[in-house]
Amino acid sequence: MSDLLSMVFTADFLGSVIRMSTPILFVALAALVGSKADVLCIAYEGIMLFAAFGGVVGSAYTGTVTGGLLLGLLLGMILIGIFAYFVLYLHTRPLLIGLALNILGSAGTVFGLYMLTGSKANSTKLGSLTFPELHIPLIEDIPVLGTVLSGHNILTYVAFLSIFIVHVFIYRTGLGLRIRAVGESPKAAASLGIDVNRTKFIALLISGVLASMGGIFLSMAYLPYFTRDMTAGRGFIGIAAESLGGGKPLLTGIWILIFGAADAIGNLAQSFRLPSQFAQMAPYLTTLIGLVLINVFREKKKVNR
Amino acid sequence: MKIKFKQNNVLTSQEISKRFSILRTALALLLAMGIAILLIFLVSNNAGRDIRSLLLGPLTSTNRISQMINKWIPLLFTGTAVCLFFSVGQINLAAEGAFFAGAFTSTLVAIIGGIPPGLHFILCALAGGLAGAIVCGLPGIMYTKFNVLTVVSSLMINYVVLYLGLFIITNVVRDPAAGYEASYRFKNTARLAELIPGTNVHTGLIIGVLVVVFGYLLLYKSTFGLQIRTIGANAAFARYSGMPVAKVIVLSQLLGGFIAGLGGTTEVLGLYNRFGYTGLTNHGWDGIMLAVLARNNPKYIPLAALFLAYLRTSADVLNLTSNVPSEVINIIQAIIISFIAAERFLAGWEYRTIVKNTEKAMSLKEGVANE
Repeated sequence: MSDLLSMVFTADFLGSVIRMSTPILFVALAALVGSKADVLCIAYEGIMLFAAFGGVVGSAYTGTVTGGLLLGLLLGMILIGIFAYFVLYLHTRPLLIGLALNILGSAGTVFGLYMLTGSKANSTKLGSLTFPELHIPLIEDIPVLGTVLSGHNILTYVAFLSIFIVHVFIYRTGLGLRIRAVGESPKAAASLGIDVNRTKFIALLISGVLASMGGIFLSMAYLPYFTRDMTAGRGFIGIAAESLGGGKPLLTGIWILIFGAADAIGNLAQSFRLPSQFAQMAPYLTTLIGLVLINVFREKKKVNR
Repeated sequence: MKIKFKQNNVLTSQEISKRFSILRTALALLLAMGIAILLIFLVSNNAGRDIRSLLLGPLTSTNRISQMINKWIPLLFTGTAVCLFFSVGQINLAAEGAFFAGAFTSTLVAIIGGIPPGLHFILCALAGGLAGAIVCGLPGIMYTKFNVLTVVSSLMINYVVLYLGLFIITNVVRDPAAGYEASYRFKNTARLAELIPGTNVHTGLIIGVLVVVFGYLLLYKSTFGLQIRTIGANAAFARYSGMPVAKVIVLSQLLGGFIAGLGGTTEVLGLYNRFGYTGLTNHGWDGIMLAVLARNNPKYIPLAALFLAYLRTSADVLNLTSNVPSEVINIIQAIIISFIAAERFLAGWEYRTIVKNTEKAMSLKEGVANE
């Protein structure tokens, strides 16, 4: 047990927290943009899977990382595009089309995988590429901080930068303002001449880019290949983290780090033969308790006002 | 006047809407089948045989038919449970967790010896049902008391239940002699009997049918059901008319959870002799698809569930006899859900038809007036 504790407070551990946080951070930011437009999308699992698969196929067939990035983004965008079209123009309940797209994401990628490689499990045969790691000069040489902050995959830095980009986008740009307007009061927005459906569509597409990046990270950085259902519920955790963060990018980022830590501790605990199930359960249980506490806190604040 | 319309074959708008909803369902099915056949042509080395397996596979032997019936049974439970959740307007996705909880909780009771048969199963069913009720009730309570989004909390609860169950099975009741990660054997007194000798169709079928009937009567023939549907349609209206909204929401979630948990119980005690699940079983998600197909009315659950069970059995046949990945079936499922849930799909056509009909009816009316 003391071994476990001593392992938790090491630079390597903190580094792995950051690595584990990356994919859920992308999804949580995606969910944030979606929820600003008042659309609850649960299709991120499917979108991430499509993007992860596209990344692997694209990089394997073009031989470039860019090719993977582009195909991954394209497939992810197609899926969120279908989602947006059904929700906004065919008046489908978001939950149902989200559910359908998650099924499609899982089955479609396995089908594609089988067609291309003959395997239903993973894409190791394709020989896809991965994004490079980034060693930041100077910071790299600082003893502890260097191991924590430097040497991560380039997408990890993109993810953490995205927190600030999304913050600025939502609160400091015209489009961000319009997205918040159609989310909070579509009728008022429409009366000012904003095309509500088009604005929501754009918000969802941006959300899709972020979620796709999460998927691409999984198959082109976290692991160097695609495995079936490799998202393993991360799309849902991202939604929960966004809900805990109350729609604030920075707060959401902090919750993501807590999830990442729970994930990393789970991995450590397994190597110490502790019941791994409790460690695996931790992020979900944390969310549940957090959701209750946060809402109690918010209610109190409302009463005091 | 109404009789006059009927004589001239003019439909009311409600009748047209109903016809269009049937048409939408039929088109969704056709579209999904068309895409599936296309996919089979893409990968199959014997497309004719595989398309036949997809369409008729489950009917080719009694063994497969009984397999299909056994796949049908659990869907009756989860489908009815989700109808209850959705009717009250709660997007509760915890039927998945409730099914799993029902399965492992009843396992704990089923391995106890010395309880007379009959009573033993009832105890298992109570344990499993209560576990399911807790799992689905929690999101309901969290929503009514703390205003937590049901979608998010129920998703999280599914995973908590999964790992709790796996912990109990692997650490508390794991049978080292089983050779794989599984519980001790269920006592024979707890297991469900075969319904039709020679097949492995079990008596859970009867329980499932009863549950569907109960769900239908509750939702459509009782005051409580009316309250559920009123709250689902317009919670604010229900509150103003004095309905105990929070109470009805929580009760309906508990009840649906009990049904889903009971489903998990009958599934493990009817089909297996020990608990051997290593992950969530997807029955809860299937229940959601069924509730969509049945438009939240348990009356249509058996038909919808039979359709899904048929598809799943086709998937098994494809898996055994061809190189076509059985994921084709899931793709079909996704397409069907999308197009049936798309309320505005074919809406333009529907409106034009209604307008044309109304015009016709109006001109008839005028004609009658002129006479």
